[in-house]
Amino acid sequence: MIAIIGAGPAGLAAAVTAAKKGEKVILIDSSTRLGGQYWRHLPSNWKQKRLPYFAEAQELFDQVLSSPLITWYSNAHVWQAEKKNEIFYLYVVKNGVEEVITAQKVILATGAYDRSLPFPGWTGPGVMTPGAAQAMLKTHGVLVGKKIVIAGTGPFLLPVATGLASAGAEIVALLEANKQWRWVFNVHGLLLNPSKIREGVYYLKKLRSLGISIQYGSTVTSFEAGIATIGKKEIACDVVAVGWGFVPELSLAGILGAKLSVQKDGTVVVDVDRNQETSIQGLFAAGESTGIGGSVLAIAEGEIAAGKGNRVTRWRAQVFAKGLQRVYPVSSGWLSSLNSEVTLCRCEEVKVSDIQSAIDELGAQDGRSAKLLTRAGMGLCQGRVCGRNVSEVVACHLSREVPDRERIASASRPLAGPISLGELGDGLGKKF
Amino acid sequence: MIQPNKSLTFTFNGESFGAIPGQTIAAALLQAERTTLRTTRFNDEPRSIFCGIGICWDCVVTVNGVSNQRSCLIEVSDGMVVKS
Repeated sequence: MIAIIGAGPAGLAAAVTAAKKGEKVILIDSSTRLGGQYWRHLPSNWKQKRLPYFAEAQELFDQVLSSPLITWYSNAHVWQAEKKNEIFYLYVVKNGVEEVITAQKVILATGAYDRSLPFPGWTGPGVMTPGAAQAMLKTHGVLVGKKIVIAGTGPFLLPVATGLASAGAEIVALLEANKQWRWVFNVHGLLLNPSKIREGVYYLKKLRSLGISIQYGSTVTSFEAGIATIGKKEIACDVVAVGWGFVPELSLAGILGAKLSVQKDGTVVVDVDRNQETSIQGLFAAGESTGIGGSVLAIAEGEIAAGKGNRVTRWRAQVFAKGLQRVYPVSSGWLSSLNSEVTLCRCEEVKVSDIQSAIDELGAQDGRSAKLLTRAGMGLCQGRVCGRNVSEVVACHLSREVPDRERIASASRPLAGPISLGELGDGLGKKF
Repeated sequence: MIQPNKSLTFTFNGESFGAIPGQTIAAALLQAERTTLRTTRFNDEPRSIFCGIGICWDCVVTVNGVSNQRSCLIEVSDGMVVKS
């Protein structure tokens, strides 16, 4: 039996490929709908027109649902995992009950989430990630605001802007922090992936038809009482959606002891070989957890992890993804302009000044000691939002670089998700 | 896009709201323009949805007496009692 964790593009592709080879698959996902964060869709009770890109998703959904070899285990959270005597044990909570799933092979397809940077006002209602705005619209049919500023960096801002505008929101500003000329760094990626050129042209045309122009090289510096500050300008809006690329979700890879490494831009990923196998035998990873790369790469990796995929497609998409990192870097400028009164850790309400005094007065020498002294990153999200930022603030205050081992430590956590003692005490009743 | 009827009802801090089957608590409240989901423990600051996908835990509420539930993940069921 193969256990696949995550039902986004990588997980779905892996499940379908494994089933085609005659293998039994359990596809575990925390959502109640297939598709992950990428192939979001409204429930079937909505009458809607599907976009053409959704055809590929629908085909994978249909194959997963119709295959007698695939069990889709929805609404299930894997909170802990271990490998004993060549068998993987996945501890899962579903509907408040803990269960254990055993498998000989595990494919992690746990995806990624928006990277956020702190700025004055970012904890208040109205500020959210572009992913949140997208999720509300595409999964629930809810428009998050009427007048929206979209900011940050990366190609994901474009579909978010066109989606929100098409649904009736006024996009009062679309701010891409990086300059357009940086695409010179990915000309080779574009030439290897002509579909990406078509996609880019599609969104630029769509933006123009919606009357939205992209302002390059600027971002939101604060949001207070319905006013977003953009450089010297102030703009009234009810929502500011800001995202700085993505963070791979690596909790389970870390728990199982797979080797993690740090990319040039500071992103922590799980290391895989040419077959998508991690340093732990039988543990594979596909999609964003091996490096942010988008759905084409995720699908190719998922198929290869399941034993049969196109390595050329993967290579092309990898080249494009590497190039994108150079087009859309996150500069360290956010650190130098950081106001000490800004909240850094949302969960534990730790301010930049708290971190600074942990260093100056209490002698913290790294992210870990700053965390222990201030509780930054120790709240419910377990540092998923602030972990990297805390490390970078500490390193900046000490005038040094964040060591790789600290980046890796802050991407790993002992539990993949909080669990109540009641759920834990339910006993391991049900087994697969 | 045609929106189905809000056939479910639930309460949030005592006030009644409607929801479309399949909608999460956060989605239904945001649709009703109820942006503050809770206030923080230490500084009493208002918070709403932030990541929208269950990562940040900013949108936590008490659902039918169980605290720290992510309103962006939990779908509304009829008669649900939600508190900040």
